[in-house]
Amino acid sequence: MKVTVVKNVLDANNRIAEENRKLFDQHKMFVINLMSSPGAGKTSLVERTIVALRDKYRIAVIEGDIQDTFDADRIAKLDIPVVQINTGGACHIDGNMIRETFPAFDFSKVDLLIVENVGNLVCPAEFKVGENIKVMLLSTPEGADKPAKYPLMFQESSALLINKIDLMRYVDFDLEKAKRDSLALNNDLKIFEVSCKTGTGLEGWIDWLTKQIDAFKK
Amino acid sequence: MHELYLAESIINIVSDHARRDGFKKVNSILLSYGRLSCIESKTLTFAFEVQSKNTPAEGAVLVFKLMPASIHCFSCEKDLEVIAHTGICPACGGAEVMLTAGTEELQILELDVD
Repeated sequence: MKVTVVKNVLDANNRIAEENRKLFDQHKMFVINLMSSPGAGKTSLVERTIVALRDKYRIAVIEGDIQDTFDADRIAKLDIPVVQINTGGACHIDGNMIRETFPAFDFSKVDLLIVENVGNLVCPAEFKVGENIKVMLLSTPEGADKPAKYPLMFQESSALLINKIDLMRYVDFDLEKAKRDSLALNNDLKIFEVSCKTGTGLEGWIDWLTKQIDAFKK
Repeated sequence: MHELYLAESIINIVSDHARRDGFKKVNSILLSYGRLSCIESKTLTFAFEVQSKNTPAEGAVLVFKLMPASIHCFSCEKDLEVIAHTGICPACGGAEVMLTAGTEELQILELDVD
């Protein structure tokens, strides 16, 4: 006997992500899902973004790592509410892990929530957490072949920050190829060339992000 | 990608149906996914075999329907099936290419049950 089912196997996660999204909407919270390889500079970008925007928005951060609280400790030093998720081996954050952090926050006092995902170019792109936008970092030492090798994250993201642009001359990074291949995958991708160490190019990212948040809050 | 998670989710969906419809045995489960959706059918089959022990889904054969990936090229206006998405049109080499199919998430379509 045949039984027709037609059910998305990722539905369980999508449903939780949608519930998270509804809660974020109620509080008019803008949520970023920040993704990259390990070591591309996510935490440095979060620090820079906090310093640039903390007078304009009330910011909170969720840090995702396999283990340790090193990143959360860095954020806590800036006196920003932060929760560390230790995934204990899982290679990405999913909607349910985000939901479990909710008791730790007072969302009526948050305008911008940054979720720093586990460093990984593959899986985080496949699991929604309830974000408004996905943002990814690609650092120059990783090489310009990453869009071609890991297309999904480039397709799913709204913005790409090419980080460690100050190292480009030492690491043989083909900037034009990286940009061309990224845009070929995602024509709407907004690309910023930055250095989170020196601060180069970050004003473009901050301006763009401010516009996204203000448009959402209207 | 996350074959253990997917296998668990499949078993949950099948168990729900078994409870509701009262069937005893699942012979096969028909699944579909897009070619570019990062699913490893062999890994998923292995994960499913291990995890379905002592559930209503135990013993079911997973049957996969692979949905093709295709692009539309804005330079030559062709719609073409592709194996990988590189952003370059395989026909004319143009770079203004849009992916039109191939990233469909894993779905259960049909169960064969007794």
